[in-house]
Amino acid sequence: MIIPMSRIRVLGPRQQLDGVLAALQDTGLVHLTEPKPAELLQRATLGEREARRVRQLQALLREVEGLPLEPVPSREPAPAGDRSDTSAFAGWARAAGRARRTLTRLDRSIRELELERADVARYEQFVTAFRGLLPNGRGRMQSYHLVLRGDDSQAVARLRGALAGVLGEHFALEAAALPTGEQAALLLVPVAEAAKVERLLAQSGVHELPLPAGVASGEALRAQPALAERRDALDRELAELAGERRELLATQGPELMRARAAAHDRLLELGARQQAGITPRGFVIEGWLPTAAKDRLSRALARQFGAEIVAEEVSQEEWRGEEAPVVLTNPRLFRPFETLTRMLPLPRYGSIDPTPFMAVFFPMFFGLIMGDAGYGLVLALLAGVLHARSREGTAVRAVAEILGPCAAFAIAFGIGFGEFFGDLGQRWFGLRPLVLNRERALLPFLGLAVAIGFVHVVLGLVLGVINAGRRHPRQAVGRGAALAMVLFVAVALLAGLRVLPKSFFTPAVVALLLAFPVMVIAEGIIAPIEFLSTLSSMLSYARIMALGTASVMMALVANRLAGSFGSVLVGVLFGLLFHLVNFALGIFAPAIHGLRLHYVEFFGKFYSPGGQQYHPLGHWRPGQPQPSLPAKGVP
Amino acid sequence: MNAVWIVLAAAAAISIPALATGWAQSRIGPAVAASLAEKPELSTTAILLVAIPETMAILGFVVAVLILYRGA
Repeated sequence: MIIPMSRIRVLGPRQQLDGVLAALQDTGLVHLTEPKPAELLQRATLGEREARRVRQLQALLREVEGLPLEPVPSREPAPAGDRSDTSAFAGWARAAGRARRTLTRLDRSIRELELERADVARYEQFVTAFRGLLPNGRGRMQSYHLVLRGDDSQAVARLRGALAGVLGEHFALEAAALPTGEQAALLLVPVAEAAKVERLLAQSGVHELPLPAGVASGEALRAQPALAERRDALDRELAELAGERRELLATQGPELMRARAAAHDRLLELGARQQAGITPRGFVIEGWLPTAAKDRLSRALARQFGAEIVAEEVSQEEWRGEEAPVVLTNPRLFRPFETLTRMLPLPRYGSIDPTPFMAVFFPMFFGLIMGDAGYGLVLALLAGVLHARSREGTAVRAVAEILGPCAAFAIAFGIGFGEFFGDLGQRWFGLRPLVLNRERALLPFLGLAVAIGFVHVVLGLVLGVINAGRRHPRQAVGRGAALAMVLFVAVALLAGLRVLPKSFFTPAVVALLLAFPVMVIAEGIIAPIEFLSTLSSMLSYARIMALGTASVMMALVANRLAGSFGSVLVGVLFGLLFHLVNFALGIFAPAIHGLRLHYVEFFGKFYSPGGQQYHPLGHWRPGQPQPSLPAKGVP
Repeated sequence: MNAVWIVLAAAAAISIPALATGWAQSRIGPAVAASLAEKPELSTTAILLVAIPETMAILGFVVAVLILYRGA
């Protein structure tokens, strides 16, 4: 449901404005709004002093936000900020600057050492490869350690051909593949031919492996121990730097997080100041809060300011329902389904919150489509795992809590339809359909789906009449007439099909003809088109039967294909794979189509979007956006 | 011969709407993807827009079932 809201007005002497805003921030109850225009009343603006403070706070936040502080779970409040004076903020800014500079230095050193570590490791691979290539009896030979591209399989052959053209047979070339995909090549040539070879290599664009600092040219093969030593030294240095970084964050982190929270809090308060109205001597703050919290706010203000500050409720005649922010509140069991409601714009204040209806019908539709006790059990297991691995208030937890009832309905309908992984329940433990057999009774299943659609759409129409009745009585009459016509059509159809006594037919048709002009007069010429669309909405629920039948048929095919393989193992594996695909589809399709039936067919009959979210002035939480504030004061 | 026509009619009842659904979704999909690139908050609307043409295939399936049942 949407909880009742009250509009309050807080009045007091102008010098108390900042104090009252701070008190309102502490209570975290009031969603501020600009006061109604009145004589002498001006919008409060930020003076030069406040604008300077904004710049200071924004500079502090720029320093702090760039630091890799420990993430705070978004649902938990940040460490309490305080309204520290200018010197405290300046101290924090200096500390944040120091921490940022130290971290930048450490990160740069770590990055450089890591690069060197990677180079050394790579070089070690080359040296290992070259050792294997070294032929016996080098004599007075010049060696070249080459790296050839891995994507060119002919590179070695081409190089060999080019060398043969210049040196004839007076060279040795050996190549080996490296783990990186490149090729390491060792080239030995007579010292006298070195100049020609270097020219050739330069023209061919072949890279010679650069030797690391401290290893003389030609000594690469003896560099291995030195490289291993350097690698160990780098590992030690990296560990030291990482430790220094951890210690810095551990010692400075909590204080800087407090600084961040305090700065955000102060900015929120300064932003709230712009929504206050001021006169030469006083101030006015207006806002919304849940009616049940009105007394709590009055008591908090009276305790802190005594009779100097007045908090009064604005009469309901002075405001319109659309202006009030919306707070949804539902029983614990229904609350996860608010996530589905919030996927659309919030319902307008004073209209109907569809969450409780969604909490009942969405899992029911899901269960009807999935309709398999085996799949339901797997889904319940999945929901349990997601629930155990998620935190309260996260989207994953909400998904887990929605999947739970869906799984329960899938198990219940699965027992009703006698399905456990298709017909395995029937084969293994003689499970029999209690309600209907979805494999054969397609027409009864279709009838059931359309009947559920009828109930759902009629419920939507009833809610539409109630919703319209609160604001537009004439529209309510029109919607009531449309609802009556739907019921009369149903009675006439059932009488025509001999489900109801035939004597019902004529009165139903006469009532239908009488309701028609009432509907057109009340709702206009568009009403007949909407009426036809309402009837077609009910047929749309046939998708429950279509998707349900597809699901059961897929499960049966999986079982039969599994049995048709010669090998038991292959058959079981194939069957499991097919069931897995069907299970994945069995989650996706009912969810999408269940949502569609709600958003399009059901909500379309009564839902009034356009509500604004309730954002009370409170203490900052991680992830909460900041209002944009002018960094230049208004004199 | 009659059975052949019944089966063909059922096949047409599901295949033509299925093709129409595929064509509609092929037009909606790129438009929705482009919208999501600019406004990711439209994801719910996007899912609904893609799911809406599926009604044709589903109703086609229902009609096909009815044809087969009446024929039988």
